[in-house]
Amino acid sequence: MNAPLLWIGIPLLVAALSLFIPNERFNAGLGGLTALSLSVVALFIPIDSALLIGPISLKISASLQIFGRNLTLTTADGSLLVILYGIAALWFFGSEAAGVARRLVPYGLGIIALLVASIAVEPFLYAAIFIEMAALLGIPLLTPAGQMPGRGALRFLVHQTLAMPFILFAGWMLAGVESSPGDFALTLQAATMLGLGFAFLLAVFPLYSWMPMLAEESSPYVMGFLFWGLPTITIIFGLGFLDRYTWLRTSAALSSTLQLSGILMVVAGGLWAAFQRHLGRIMAYVAVVETGFAILALSIQPPARALEVVFLSMIPRGLGLAVWALALTILLRRVDSLRFGSVKGVARTYPLAVSGVVLAHLSAAGFPLLAGFPPRLTLWEGLAGNSLLLAFWLLIGILGLLTGALRSLAVLVMAPEYSPWGLGETWVQRIMLGVGVLGLFILGLFPQVVRPLLENLPLMFIHFGP
Amino acid sequence: MLIPITVLLFILPALALVILRILRPNFRFFWLIALGGGLLGWISLWIWLARLPLVFQLPRWQPADLFFHAPTFTADGLSWPFAISLGTLALSIVLTAVVRQDLTDPMPWAGALLLTGVGVLAVTANNPLTLVLVWAALDLSELLTQLRSVETPEASERIVVAFASRVTGIGLVLWANVLSVLGGSRLDFASMPADAGLFLLVAAGLRLGVLPLHLPYASESKLRRGVGTAMRLTSAASSLVLLTRIPPGSVASPLTPYLFVLVAAAAVYSSWTWLRAPDELAGRPFWVLSLAALALASALSASPAGVTGWGVALVLAGGALFLNSAQQIWLNRAVLIGALALSTLPFTLTASAWDGGAPVFFLAWPLLIAAQTMTIAGFARHALRPGSRELLDTRPSFVRIFHSLGIGLLLLTILILGFVGWDGALQVGNWIPALLVFLLTVGLVWAAPRLPFLNPIRAHWIRPSGASWVDFLYRGLWSLYQGVGRMSDVITNALEGEGGVMWSLLFLALFISYMSQVGR
Repeated sequence: MNAPLLWIGIPLLVAALSLFIPNERFNAGLGGLTALSLSVVALFIPIDSALLIGPISLKISASLQIFGRNLTLTTADGSLLVILYGIAALWFFGSEAAGVARRLVPYGLGIIALLVASIAVEPFLYAAIFIEMAALLGIPLLTPAGQMPGRGALRFLVHQTLAMPFILFAGWMLAGVESSPGDFALTLQAATMLGLGFAFLLAVFPLYSWMPMLAEESSPYVMGFLFWGLPTITIIFGLGFLDRYTWLRTSAALSSTLQLSGILMVVAGGLWAAFQRHLGRIMAYVAVVETGFAILALSIQPPARALEVVFLSMIPRGLGLAVWALALTILLRRVDSLRFGSVKGVARTYPLAVSGVVLAHLSAAGFPLLAGFPPRLTLWEGLAGNSLLLAFWLLIGILGLLTGALRSLAVLVMAPEYSPWGLGETWVQRIMLGVGVLGLFILGLFPQVVRPLLENLPLMFIHFGP
Repeated sequence: MLIPITVLLFILPALALVILRILRPNFRFFWLIALGGGLLGWISLWIWLARLPLVFQLPRWQPADLFFHAPTFTADGLSWPFAISLGTLALSIVLTAVVRQDLTDPMPWAGALLLTGVGVLAVTANNPLTLVLVWAALDLSELLTQLRSVETPEASERIVVAFASRVTGIGLVLWANVLSVLGGSRLDFASMPADAGLFLLVAAGLRLGVLPLHLPYASESKLRRGVGTAMRLTSAASSLVLLTRIPPGSVASPLTPYLFVLVAAAAVYSSWTWLRAPDELAGRPFWVLSLAALALASALSASPAGVTGWGVALVLAGGALFLNSAQQIWLNRAVLIGALALSTLPFTLTASAWDGGAPVFFLAWPLLIAAQTMTIAGFARHALRPGSRELLDTRPSFVRIFHSLGIGLLLLTILILGFVGWDGALQVGNWIPALLVFLLTVGLVWAAPRLPFLNPIRAHWIRPSGASWVDFLYRGLWSLYQGVGRMSDVITNALEGEGGVMWSLLFLALFISYMSQVGR
């Protein structure tokens, strides 16, 4: 057995097969079970070391050579695979309740496989190409069959595509920087190219415009899936750069660049979220803020602590977005649009979906008791240790998020006088939302439950981390 | 383990009631289950007294180098009185329910028991992390319960606004933590930096509605006597307990005199409205506000025992008044024991209120004495008011017994806590202002029926939005919000329009130029 074949090849194969399955429920089950199985295998079977089960010896080799390039997944990648495929399983199982399983499972599974390939490929610069391929798969995912892609989808593609040449150019220049580290001009050019590439990939302010635009034209569920998957892997990809290039890691400007771009995203996204009148756009801005949080976390000193904060927020982000996107999709199937005017008072008919929207939003803002609180607390404390000004701007961003959450809540509960309460969600939707919301509370009260999954993740970056 | 056992004794019967209500709606013994739960929880709280201090710690959050505190609960000489008062209130709510409702709907009792379980956790919270977690749980459950109980969109909106003010209080505690980290330590009740104490005080004031003066919750909904009382008083107690944890030295600041004046003014306004409220339920928000303001004044004068005294009086005396929904002349007179609890006379619950480690700002004294006088006079007026309550003597004997027992338990606890069980028991305190307040109260109670301006105001005058200057402040904030919103719309339109990519690239070029300068 071969690790890249198992965690890249098999999901690609299942993704291709599921294109021909017309049944929503079967598709969701197939995608969910495949992702869950891959997550469980990554949890229990170590890569590149023999596992004895009675008389049978099982070994998953780490590498696969394809077109002259190596795809390598090591033991250190195991935890990341567990998390990625685990959260993906949640998205796929929920896709039936959201009514998008026929689109999400084939393209989503393909995207996850390509993103895993981006972590596995060597030389690692080729990751940019895999990320671009994943972005390309995002277009049919965002656009229902027979329709033209909207402006948001096109801008998404433009931004992701612009990122690739910048990163490849940067890689080409980095070879020169390594051979002549004293050449300041070359170093600056390489760093600028790299920064531009990541600015496009991570939708750094003001390159995020495609996110709220997508929110108005696409299904919230598939949009949420992209908002979770792409930034998560891009951050890992970025960490790879920091881990490999000493000059970049030790650069004096790195910390200030990360802080400035991160805080810009947090403040801009937070303030914009406070003024939106469309629930999907609010989610998009919160996704921008979440990426800002991750970038800010990277600037925390020492780097080992930065890594812990980044990884701590990974699962809450995935779970929160999944609950939020599912809840919005359920609402969107009953109302004309997600504009405030259309969703006013729906809490009385869809209380669970509204709870999902509000709790996921509060969680992203770091409301105590919810999954987002422990990572926000550590981030806030980490920044406060360096600068009160940064901590203050972070507060402004969080206040923006909270204002957005409270505005949404106020609109959603303002039903006409004497409207009766009811439960408009189906049983499947109730179960999926219930499990998700329960997860938000469990992670908020006992963040240590995911510690076994997170403790080995810093080993992926032996120079930057521990 | 006594703390979690007690909490479970309140919460498990509540959950059992909810499950039975769903599965067996015709079950006949709902009330007995609620009574059993309330009674066992109450007894277990008295058992705490023999084992104080008690500590219960949940598993520490991981990774350990990121989280410095574990959720921890401690019962000591300041938190136990809060806990016993909440437990007594829960038991009294169940006992007095026989007067108010038929015994087939267990949901109000389940709500009261559940709130009490969470409330006991809140008052025993031993560090800010634990406190904000329990506050959040209380706020979310209150939000949910309130939203279920109102019918108009305006009322729903007010509930969300109330929730927002409480969330701001949580935010201030977290900001105090940030300030501590900046000073090189982690926020802890035992070792708190000087500037953090003031933020905690303001956080509690904000949640209670005293700083700035506002009603931190929507006007009274249909949740009236039972669960409504539990919600109002538990929530107030959970905020007041923070004031008992602030080290006396950490509220000393150049701002303290101003805070004294603000708090005293809030106390006067709310006690005046309480005195003139048409009935005790309409005035209940102002009862909470006036006692909270007095507790804040005690906190500013560095008297944690004083804060506890006011907080416990708020729950016990308030509970006796608000739960006494049936008229009986001797019971009405007995409720006046609650007025005694507010008197700050020696050996009463609030004896140590004005006996703190720091002096009360001299300009605040007359205001505080006036506020205390009006609060007590208002209490006496509402307790003795003939009103429209039904007569207890016309009810069956078991109703009379259980109702009297429920009210009696609250009053008995007031008397007991004056003498035993906590740091503020058996105190003589500062008796001179207490005597002055006593005399003024007697005068005010005598004058009330004779002076027209002291007569009750109409119910609709008691507005949920507070004073007009607060409205002005909110209008200003709203204008600012709209202005920033318009600006954000302009930028959004530019970025998402046809030229959006070009605008983005322009900004990026500026950003890179700036960063390359920083890099040099």
